[in-house]
Amino acid sequence: MIRRALRDPLAHFLIAGAAIWGGLALLGEPVDPASRTIELSRERQEGIALGFERMMGRPPTDAEMDAAVERWVREEVLYREALRLGLDDGDAVVRRRLATKMDELAGAEAEIARPSDEALETWLAARPEAYRTGGMTSFEQVYFASEGAARAALGTTGPQGEAISLPASMSKASSREIAERFGQQFADALADLSPSDALQGPVESGFGWHLVRVTEREDGALPPLEDIRERVEADWRGATISERRERAYALLREAYTVEVE
Amino acid sequence: MISKSWVALAALAVAGCDLAGGGEATEAQRGDGTDTIELAEFPDRPYWGDTHLHTDVSVDAFGFGVRLGAEEALKFARGDTVTATTGMEAKLDRPLDFLVISDHSDAMGATRRLYDSPRILVRDPTLRRWYDMMHESPEQSTRAVAELITAAANDEIPAALRDPERQAKATRDLWDNHLALLDRYNRPGEFTAFAGFEWTLMPDGNNLHRVVMFRDGSVKTGQVVPFPGLDTQVEQLWDYMEAYEANTGGQVLAIPHNSNLSNGIMFDLVGPDGGAMSADYARRRARYEPVVEATQIKGDSETHPFLSPNDEFAAFGVAGWELGNLPLTQKSTPDMYAGSYVRSGLLRGLTLEQQMGVNPYAFGLIGSTDSHTALATGDEDNFFGKHTGNEPRADRAMAGQNLGTRVGRFGWHYLAGGYAAAWARGNTRAEIFDAFMRREVYATTGPRMVLRLFAGFDFSADDWDGDWVRAGYTRGVPMGGDLEDSGRAPVFLISALKDPEGANLDRIQVVKGWVDANGEAQERVYDVAWSDMEGSRRSVGGAIPPVGDTVVRREATYENTIGTAELRATWRDPDYRAGQRAFYYVRALEIPTPTWVLFDAKRFGFDLPADVVEANVIQERAYSSPVWLRPRRASDAPRTMGEG
Repeated sequence: MIRRALRDPLAHFLIAGAAIWGGLALLGEPVDPASRTIELSRERQEGIALGFERMMGRPPTDAEMDAAVERWVREEVLYREALRLGLDDGDAVVRRRLATKMDELAGAEAEIARPSDEALETWLAARPEAYRTGGMTSFEQVYFASEGAARAALGTTGPQGEAISLPASMSKASSREIAERFGQQFADALADLSPSDALQGPVESGFGWHLVRVTEREDGALPPLEDIRERVEADWRGATISERRERAYALLREAYTVEVE
Repeated sequence: MISKSWVALAALAVAGCDLAGGGEATEAQRGDGTDTIELAEFPDRPYWGDTHLHTDVSVDAFGFGVRLGAEEALKFARGDTVTATTGMEAKLDRPLDFLVISDHSDAMGATRRLYDSPRILVRDPTLRRWYDMMHESPEQSTRAVAELITAAANDEIPAALRDPERQAKATRDLWDNHLALLDRYNRPGEFTAFAGFEWTLMPDGNNLHRVVMFRDGSVKTGQVVPFPGLDTQVEQLWDYMEAYEANTGGQVLAIPHNSNLSNGIMFDLVGPDGGAMSADYARRRARYEPVVEATQIKGDSETHPFLSPNDEFAAFGVAGWELGNLPLTQKSTPDMYAGSYVRSGLLRGLTLEQQMGVNPYAFGLIGSTDSHTALATGDEDNFFGKHTGNEPRADRAMAGQNLGTRVGRFGWHYLAGGYAAAWARGNTRAEIFDAFMRREVYATTGPRMVLRLFAGFDFSADDWDGDWVRAGYTRGVPMGGDLEDSGRAPVFLISALKDPEGANLDRIQVVKGWVDANGEAQERVYDVAWSDMEGSRRSVGGAIPPVGDTVVRREATYENTIGTAELRATWRDPDYRAGQRAFYYVRALEIPTPTWVLFDAKRFGFDLPADVVEANVIQERAYSSPVWLRPRRASDAPRTMGEG
């Protein structure tokens, strides 16, 4: 039924009108541009005062409030006259701003909506790779500036290594965290080593050479929704806002025929 | 009207029928990241970020051509691939940990709106000329914005662009959408998205810009809009910040930058009206501006050879930028430098503190990019340009970069940028913002070297054998801290670890500034550790042989065959005098490496003049925030810290 309504030429007019109304609705209560009565409601006055306060961090004085109201009235008069003259028609700025407002309206609900667990589970199931945690590695390392020194120390018990301000061990570290501290080359090489009681290596890093004992490795896994709910919800929200805009547009667009000469 | 509007609204409702109501604020909207993730006991690693990045709603960035917005900027910073305005795919090889998008608050979105306007509605002749230029070609668009910046500098911006009340309305929409976006991208423990803006005060073209950075989510930041800079005074910015904190319970700070383009007024000895600086002004400045951006694309502001003739590394990032103020409408003269550079600013702070009891310039140091491409690139091999007009292409290195109107600066004068490092216990808005407030932050010119500084009175070389970080925090203060004079020379634990993906280190130095017995400000640079200290680079009469140079100019390569991976020093101030007022900061230098200019020459295959090649092999560096040594106040009880 709505689809039929949208094909009605009257609906086109209504949509254009509604678009303008939509823009105004965001600014406060709706007004009728055809009316020559301008009502300055309490809410509107409060809105003006609040706008001032947000800007200046304090409420307006009486004189400032009068000036702000005067500016608002002036804008309102000119705005209504402009609509009467049809200046909104064919104006690229008005056109674009109203289109933007429509987009915002379409997305607005998704900004605040709370999706059901079911919706999020579906979302998660559709893209597990995005949420799979990278593997976690626990390891100890002993540092040497030269490869030769590291090799020589490999067969000894409890090699001391050389002083450096790197963690002697990391527990359940992600590969990104390891790469940030030791460099990508080391993180990649470490990923190829199996957990073992023995020191392995030497493994090269941006700093030098390391003998490494990998004590534990956990493979990546998809965490349960409750552990990553906020992140999933944020991603869902971002995607849903764009998707809703597209759907709202598609629905409206369907009613139009575009003829290109 | 209401009854007639149902069709479109119904269409919108249909599109959203699967969204159940509800409207509770998320953690990101409510707050600052407090209590969201498990924190380390002490700050255990630096978090890397850019606090100074422009997108398509900045007046100049849009005019210079950028078409990427905040969302692309956030995606790029956290490590995603994005398509730059000029069509290249771009991705950071290492993501950043935090980002402040700092679009200009003046006329936010205005060039975009002007550009989108029907020409017939652009009545102002100046605006109409700019409008035509913006539509004509990228070069003309750049020129139009250059004129706009010059006009702003000269107080000649058309009224249509400068009315703050009108602008605030337009800004409101932009800001609300922007804050919602930031909350969506803010992810405690992984990536922090800060709300911020740039406040662009520029009397006579002299740069007094600040980046403003909020600690909070949109519930609080949505209660204000960005504060415009033109036609205001810095004290009004502080009023705005003070009101924000009082009204919301949130927190906000400001970061002065490009003091090198201020023609001496960023760190002035007098108040903004030219009269004596008041203690109240000094207190507020110290309160709201805890850190300064010391290095970025438009030059390095640490110091100048004129100010520091005995500092052989003082000329870094000065060429081109020392000529004048931001739009080059006023030439700089040497008497202006002391108010334009960070080290002399810190010295002036000591002098002013001695005179009035308050130090207005007790700030920490960070670096950032000031990129206007929405891409926070800080490395030499990924420099995406100051603005979209100089994204990578063959002729950008030698092109004039004088905002289109005057001569003197060239593409190769741009630095590849800088980054800010924050010592924090975790990656949240609260932790990183608080690190800025306590000045436990440092600047780099791009490389991610790890720099530690602790100051106390009883440190010794033995501390390196134990848990020296714990010792540093429990028996001393970290960078950014204050030490009260104990009657003994302060001792410093200093460590610099190279960037794991970058160049080796040449040396670490301590820069000390103090007020001598005659009340004169003094500075001295001490080499405290360097590579091969006991071998080929043994110090002879205080002179250290240079580290060498492995850069192959034509190939834009270098070798880590010189220098070292880490430098450590336990350093006791040899020139300490009881009761002295002093600051100490650390400068860590890398071995020489090629700049983006040599990478460009290699990539695009062109020859550079010899002097340009010479200037584009540099030693990148990190600057720690200082530690201040303050005389003990007579009224204080004797302190025992570090006396054991």
